[in-house]
Amino acid sequence: MALLEARDIVKIYPNGVLANNGVSLSVEKGEIHAVVGENGAGKSTLMKILYGLEQPTSGSIQLRGEQVVLSGPHKAIAQGIGMVHQNFMLVDSFTIAENIVLGSEPRSGMTRDLKKAVADTEQLSKTYGLHLDPMAKIIDTPVGMRQRVEILKALYRGAELLILDEPTAVLTPGETTDLFNAIRNLINEGKTVIFITHKLREVMDISDRVTVMRDAKLVGMVNTSETSIPDLARMMVGREVFMQVERPPVVRGAPVLEVNDMLYANDAGRKVVNHISFRVCRNEILGIAGVEGNGQTELVEVLTGLRDVTTGEATVNGVDVLNQGPRHVREHKVAHIPEDRLTNGVARDASIADNLIIDSYYRPPFKQHLGLQPEAIRKHGREMIAEFGIVAASEDTHVGSLSGGNMQKVIVAREFSSNPQLLIAAQPTRGVDIGAIEFIHQQLVDKRTQGLAILLVSADLQEVMKLSDRIMVMYNGEIAAFLPNTPDLTEEKLGMYMLGAVHQTPEELEAAR
Amino acid sequence: MTRAKRNLGLILGAAAIALITTLVITWQVFGGVTDFGEFIASVTAQQDYLNLILINLLVGVSVALFVVELRWQALRVIGTVAFALLLGYFVTFIFNLDSANRFASGQFKVLIVSDAPPVENADMDLEYGQTRGGEFNKQGVAEPLRIAEFRFEGSAGDMISALAFAGSRNSAVNLQLAILDEAGNEIGAATGATPEQVQAFEDLRSENDAVLQGLNLPADGVYVLVVQPEPIPTGVTLSEAFKATNEAYKAFLLGPISRPNRWAIWIQDSFTLIMVGIAIAIVFQAEQFSLGAEGQLYLGALVSGIIALNMTNVSPLIAVPLALIGAAGIGFLYGLLPGALKAYLGANELVSTLMLNVVALKFFDLVLANQLKPPEAGFNSSAMFPASAVLPPVVGGSQVTIAIFIVVGVVLFAWYLLTRTPLGYEIRMVGSNLKFAAYGGVNTKRTIMLSMAISGAVAGLAGAHLSMGIFRQLVQNMSFGLAFEGVVVALLARNNPLVIPFTGLLYAYLRAGAQFMERDANVSFEIVRVIQAIIILLITAEGLLSFSRKRKSAVPAPAAPPPAPASAVEGAANV
Repeated sequence: MALLEARDIVKIYPNGVLANNGVSLSVEKGEIHAVVGENGAGKSTLMKILYGLEQPTSGSIQLRGEQVVLSGPHKAIAQGIGMVHQNFMLVDSFTIAENIVLGSEPRSGMTRDLKKAVADTEQLSKTYGLHLDPMAKIIDTPVGMRQRVEILKALYRGAELLILDEPTAVLTPGETTDLFNAIRNLINEGKTVIFITHKLREVMDISDRVTVMRDAKLVGMVNTSETSIPDLARMMVGREVFMQVERPPVVRGAPVLEVNDMLYANDAGRKVVNHISFRVCRNEILGIAGVEGNGQTELVEVLTGLRDVTTGEATVNGVDVLNQGPRHVREHKVAHIPEDRLTNGVARDASIADNLIIDSYYRPPFKQHLGLQPEAIRKHGREMIAEFGIVAASEDTHVGSLSGGNMQKVIVAREFSSNPQLLIAAQPTRGVDIGAIEFIHQQLVDKRTQGLAILLVSADLQEVMKLSDRIMVMYNGEIAAFLPNTPDLTEEKLGMYMLGAVHQTPEELEAAR
Repeated sequence: MTRAKRNLGLILGAAAIALITTLVITWQVFGGVTDFGEFIASVTAQQDYLNLILINLLVGVSVALFVVELRWQALRVIGTVAFALLLGYFVTFIFNLDSANRFASGQFKVLIVSDAPPVENADMDLEYGQTRGGEFNKQGVAEPLRIAEFRFEGSAGDMISALAFAGSRNSAVNLQLAILDEAGNEIGAATGATPEQVQAFEDLRSENDAVLQGLNLPADGVYVLVVQPEPIPTGVTLSEAFKATNEAYKAFLLGPISRPNRWAIWIQDSFTLIMVGIAIAIVFQAEQFSLGAEGQLYLGALVSGIIALNMTNVSPLIAVPLALIGAAGIGFLYGLLPGALKAYLGANELVSTLMLNVVALKFFDLVLANQLKPPEAGFNSSAMFPASAVLPPVVGGSQVTIAIFIVVGVVLFAWYLLTRTPLGYEIRMVGSNLKFAAYGGVNTKRTIMLSMAISGAVAGLAGAHLSMGIFRQLVQNMSFGLAFEGVVVALLARNNPLVIPFTGLLYAYLRAGAQFMERDANVSFEIVRVIQAIIILLITAEGLLSFSRKRKSAVPAPAAPPPAPASAVEGAANV
């Protein structure tokens, strides 16, 4: 009998997003069960349902053979289910012991019994081999230690089944090894672990069985010993392409963006963008494929002036654009659809009209003579609303009150209206509804046909394959491959490069750039 | 068409509001009389009455701007203030719960009137025709007098009248008396006096005094006259507290417009508050929590004061602008400093400006005490400025000066800056989303620095108004934390420069009202602090409310919602 059995879980969010579509999951006692899938495949939603944070629209959950309704995390905790989130929820100024007992502190009379808390913490950490100093403050402890605190916190509340949501995303390789050892200790002590990840190597390293999800559906469950990384990759990304955009054939023109041997190292000294060279030409969409976190974000931020690069060069129509800030880049006809539109792309409290001129407010027609021209700014706003079909009451509407798709249209409208020669589009359709996706895709292809050079970064492989003329695969900060987007290019083949299984030779890369 | 119609309606409505406000204030200031001739006489008795009315018109325009700019939000601001005033009323009421105590305390006197000859006995406290007295429940005394006994000797058949009455005009004590014989038995008592008795005995002041008239002493011997205040019934306590609170609130709410000189105090105070409010609004628009206005104000006052003191024989046309430029300049520099620290070193502007405030304040005191204070001066202040270097009054006999033009100019400048210039656009975008501004190519460092520096210049001008307009000399503790009140003004106006004149006037009105309440009704000025605290609390709560609403709607509709909100739920469930 399985410890936990979820059957035919369907979850439709109030906004109509179908996050789980008839997913079943069966976890045996004492196993490490990996759940893998791309971003947005529905893993997290399923886990939230198991932890009581979300209620399934339909479907049932059985624990130890008994039907349970998990109406909230407290119910799940009472049933022995614990969860460690990606973002830790700890009180920085408290000690480790205080954090572990927080909410169910041992008491002596009216006050907390801190001595007992410390003793309990030491006992727990000894039992499970998760070593830590109960008296250390959270603020002084590294990330890996904080994760142990989260795990112990769940165990302190009597968790038998532990859900770890992408636990390795924030860890260094050394910390990951420690975490895996700790997980094995937990299993030896009779606990059960559900492990969410999209890193297939880790799945092979630690799990007993794997459940694969894709597009809110269950693809299958396999024993780890009977599968391989390529098999799992195929299950994860292999899916049917159902929306097509007419991409009229054009001859690619002269190079607009040329990147030569560019290196960006982050504050910790890691080479996030590692000596890469490529070019983007007129009439071309160069798509960057890759699992998120392989340097795409940093590459885009360096090229758009938001980060300063360490070495190397990048030119737009022959003009160096690195290390001189976003204004300089924009002045040289570069437009940028940012990856995270809420953080970078819009000012939520400002009107649509104001949001549309962040790149041009200091130039005519918006600034003339002594000051800004409110009528010109608002007229521009009205024109953009009409041209890009933005659904809004008026140009004075605050952007924060728009839907995600319309917010993105505001950004697209602004970036297209600056008549760029190079467009850098990062995740242009993330979190956007189908209609807006189609619209944005069509706009991208139309502009490319008219001569725009586009660098497209997307975590959505389907999107990259649908729009790109060429595909550049990034893995671990390096370019793994340049591939012409021919009909025989499959997602499986891309997946091999994306997951680091294969790599083109430097000669091949040089020839294809 | 409908939109144009609605706009027209709005403009007409605003004009009506402006006019009505102007008329009501003007009418109140000149005595609130219904007789037209009397009103005109009272108006024309005032120096520069035309300027006074023109300033009232500006007050009316401020109210109209407030309504036009905020529309329905205006109701929320009014509601916030009204609610704070209501709570303030209750606090005042509690302050006033002791106001009935005056009936139980105060000086009193006793007197026994009789036609019979007095018996002389040195051991006695009282003899016929003698007045004795004391004070009941004196404040600040360890064991106050609660009951008084006076022994006197009388003969059988003496016809006496015993009087107990308030001992002075200030005493409102409500007395009762009794006469006991030697064995302690009561042979007569009284709790009050009839109107006829008040007439008949010239010592009596009111019916609260006690008279025992026409008592025949039964035997020779020693008697005791016992006097004490009457106990106060709860009803009287409450009604007295209400009466006192109502009186205090009347002074509070109508005081500032009850006379031209009080009106002037309100208006001149509002000039400072409006300028400081504008200064704060500029930095708040850029989301910089700079509280440096206090320090900039002191330095502005100091520099304008030094210039003014050295302009003895110079035309005011040169002296005044020079002093104003000096004040704005030093404020600009003193804002640029924390701005640069923030932009280039990441120093928290809240901490740095608060610390720089102390530096400015102490520097002001130092220069004042060691350089500017004349040797003969009794307290820490400079000499009076020469007449050529003060802001000339526009309403004679008051400190309502040509600073009115500076205030109007500052408001228009801030409005133009924030809505009509590229820098203002940058300030707003940096304030709305710093990362968005940087992404769009705005030089965010320059924007942060300039927002703080321009704010400093405005605060410096406020300092010049204090020194050259109101005090006409430099005085220690000139501002008394006025700059921090500017935060309330800016917050109430939601950092909108066109609304700040109204909120500044409103807040100055509350401050002036409190001053007159203290003077007229003996309620402490602290009540305004209470109201201020309530306003700040309410605004903060409202801000939190809209902030959390924003957070909720910020989460778009991802297929897999990000884990952060979920963890928050978990955290909440665990606690």
